[in-house]
Amino acid sequence: MARKRKELEPDTDVNLIPAMNLILILIPLLITAMETLKLAVINVATPQIGPSSEVTPPDQAPDEKPLKLTIALTDRGFHLYARDQVIENKDDPLGPTIPKKDGEEVVDGKPVPGKVYDYDRLSQMLSDIKDENPVEENIIITAESHIKYRYIIQVMDASREKKEGDKKKTLFPNVVLSAGVA
Amino acid sequence: MAEEQKQTYEILSETYEQEMLAKKKAGKKGGRLERPPKLTITSLMDILTILLVFLLKSYSTDPVAVTPSADLDLVKSKTMLQPEQTVTITVSKSAILVDNAMALAVKDGKVDGSQKRGGEDGYFIIPLNKMLADGMEKQRRIAAVNPSAGKTLGVATIIMDGDTPFRLLTEVMYTAGQAEFNKFKFLTISSPEG
Repeated sequence: MARKRKELEPDTDVNLIPAMNLILILIPLLITAMETLKLAVINVATPQIGPSSEVTPPDQAPDEKPLKLTIALTDRGFHLYARDQVIENKDDPLGPTIPKKDGEEVVDGKPVPGKVYDYDRLSQMLSDIKDENPVEENIIITAESHIKYRYIIQVMDASREKKEGDKKKTLFPNVVLSAGVA
Repeated sequence: MAEEQKQTYEILSETYEQEMLAKKKAGKKGGRLERPPKLTITSLMDILTILLVFLLKSYSTDPVAVTPSADLDLVKSKTMLQPEQTVTITVSKSAILVDNAMALAVKDGKVDGSQKRGGEDGYFIIPLNKMLADGMEKQRRIAAVNPSAGKTLGVATIIMDGDTPFRLLTEVMYTAGQAEFNKFKFLTISSPEG
C-alpha cells in the first residue's frame, strides 16, 4: 500500500511553471501599456469670421439684446464685452476689464516673476454675470493673434465652472472661438 | 493509513539526515540531494492571477493615442470629457499632421504664406484642407455602412502644442471648417486640480 502511494505521488502535483512564466510576462506588458496620462477633451464650436450673431439662445425674448458675452485676451489682460458693450474697469476705464496681476509665470519649468492673467477674478466676474443671466450658456473667446494656446485653454477652464466650496457652479460651458482681434 | 504515511515520512527524513551527515563527513558542502525540496507556488499563482485580471480590466485602449515629445507640449485642463474616435489634427512646434500623417511644416508657430490661399494674411491652408477633405470622405464612407460611426461625422480632435499662437489655431479651424468639420474637440491632459 505504502509503495503504491509513493509511486503515484509525483503525478499529483500540477506543473505550474509554464503558467507562471506566461503570467510573469503578461504583467509587465500590461503595466507598461497602461495609460499614465489621462486625456480629456473640450468641445468648441467653429470660429466665426465676422459678427457671431447665431450664438443667441433660442429661449431669449426677441426684444432683448442678446448677451453675446465675449472675452478677448490681449497682452494687458482680459477685455470683456456683453450686449456689444465693453464691461469697463472702474479703476482704469481705458484699460482691460481685468488687467494682468503680479505673479509668477512658469517658463521652461522654472517660475519667473512677471505679470499673469487673473483667472480667479475672471471666474468671479463671470459668475456674477451668470447670476444675472441664468439661461445663458454661450461664451465667445477671442484673442490677439500671438496669444498662446495654453492661455485660451485656461480661460475656457475659468469660464466653464467655478468652485464654490464643495459645489461646482456651471458658468458658460458652450465655447465659440472667434477670429483674432487685431 | 495515516500511520503508514507518517512512518514513510519518518523513514524518508531519517534517510535524508543520514545522507546529509554522510556528505558533511565526506567534506562536500551543500551537495545536491536526490530529492530536492519542493516550493509551493500555488499561493503566488493566486496573487499573480488576481493581479493579471485586475490589469486586464483596467487596461483600456484610448481612442486617441498621443506620443509625448518636446515638440508637442500638451496643455492641462480641468475638463473631464472623454475623447472619441474622430479625425485628429495634430499641431506641434514643427508640423501639422492629420491622423498622424504629415500635412505640412510649421516654423515659429506660422505656416509659410506660399501654403496658404491669399498668402501671409490668408486663413486657408491648402495642403491641410486637402488632407482633411480626404479624411472627411473616408468618414462619410464609413458612416454610410456603419451608422454608429456617423455620430462623429464632422467632428475633429485638435491636439495642439501649448505655445501655438492663436492665429494658427484659427487658421487650422477655419481650414477644417472649409472641409466641412463643424465641431472641434481640444485634447488636453485631464487634471482636475488645474
